[in-house]
Amino acid sequence: MPRFFSNKRLIILLVGVIVLVALIAFSLRDRNHANVPEQAVKDVVGFGQSLFTKPAHFVTGVIKNIDTMLNTYEENKRLKERLDTFASMQAELADVKANNVKLRGIIDKQEDLRAYEPIQSTVISRNPDQWEEKLIIDKGTTNGVGVNMAVMTAQGLIGKVILTTPFTSTVELVSTENSNFRVAAMVVGEQEVYGLIEGFDRQSRQLIMKRIDSSFDVKKGMTVTSSGLGGIFPRGILIGEVTEVSTDDYGLTKLAYIRPAANFSMLDHVMVAKRSAIVVDGTDGGNSVDAKGGR
Amino acid sequence: MIRFVIPLIAIVLFFLEPIFSLFSPIELNDTFYFFIPRFLIVYLIFIASYYSRKRAFFYGLVLGILYDMYHIDIIGLYTFMYPLICYVSASIIRQIERRTSTVMMLSLVMIVMLELLSYLFASIIALTSIDFNEFLTSRLIPTVIANSLFIGMFGYMFKQLIEKRFSQKQAGF
Repeated sequence: MPRFFSNKRLIILLVGVIVLVALIAFSLRDRNHANVPEQAVKDVVGFGQSLFTKPAHFVTGVIKNIDTMLNTYEENKRLKERLDTFASMQAELADVKANNVKLRGIIDKQEDLRAYEPIQSTVISRNPDQWEEKLIIDKGTTNGVGVNMAVMTAQGLIGKVILTTPFTSTVELVSTENSNFRVAAMVVGEQEVYGLIEGFDRQSRQLIMKRIDSSFDVKKGMTVTSSGLGGIFPRGILIGEVTEVSTDDYGLTKLAYIRPAANFSMLDHVMVAKRSAIVVDGTDGGNSVDAKGGR
Repeated sequence: MIRFVIPLIAIVLFFLEPIFSLFSPIELNDTFYFFIPRFLIVYLIFIASYYSRKRAFFYGLVLGILYDMYHIDIIGLYTFMYPLICYVSASIIRQIERRTSTVMMLSLVMIVMLELLSYLFASIIALTSIDFNEFLTSRLIPTVIANSLFIGMFGYMFKQLIEKRFSQKQAGF
């Protein structure tokens, strides 16, 4: 049996391990901020990555198109049935919108929690080792993206921005195991029921909405959207649908399981919502404030 | 020309990994399976076996740092694991016959080792709370299957290419 490690190598290995532990400790301390060299690396690698990812998105797009073309007949039949109701609903929506503007004018209220400026962007990579649910998108601070902004697809909310560099940003998906990831949400019904989305059930792949006042009636099938009261997300981004309601560990508040409206795999184009109303670092930004002891 | 092909393939594989992870997790019968692309390390093991251990070590170190800074935001995980895997596989391949099939098997074993190491790190710094059984069924086995497909498709090509470069270098280029 030859000697696996000679003395010199053993020393190098030991020094390596020490340096490694020091580096890990150093970078774990402050993961939500990238220093200048880190930002430079992220931007350069991000640029290279987008050269590879954009053609890949094009190819998957073509395949998806062919796939949808095969279902066109069925889909067309279904859509035609819905089209009849659509026209009347659109007329009603236009009327309600106009009414809303008029009423806002009367009470002289300019700010709207719902208003946001969408920043369109492309997903350039997903964390390959998948211990954390992270995406990197191709828009950064130069495009107006900021930390804690909501990220969504056409279907609904998918996550929030946790780190920005000039030309890329890192997005953490709501399907994360990170317990500091909170979204102020509400159940839409005859009366609005507020709560917090906290945590993700891995087995059933559903979101968990906690701290719902037990005096309110939440039923299966109700829609959940962001409430805008967390300080950073705009109001009214679709999150999902309630599938199950129970009480929390202490029996004081209700807890609801929510099936997310958006699909978290195969993401290509996403939208960052830059809220128009004043932004405060509240619940939605819990990631940056609570976790770091109010820095 | 082939001189630049070797590092170029390493870079291409580095950029391909996150694209393939966009497809994961895949849902089959209501269970989700995670496929972790480990293309780069397979290629580095081939370099370590057929070309030079030092070269593999160096590529592993540089690309490991980039991987950590770009994806993980913790510097030191892959910076450590990639060179370690290269070193260990080079030490093993010295003891055994250097046939393509053995190197392929070795890269599968090393993927398992890399996954176990990364699971260990992830549980230590509390990135994950999954237990070992779940890790085994939902991550390790699908990952090994998916990567064995990759090794089967490209392993022979890698070997040919790297050996070509090696003989060229022996000739004094």
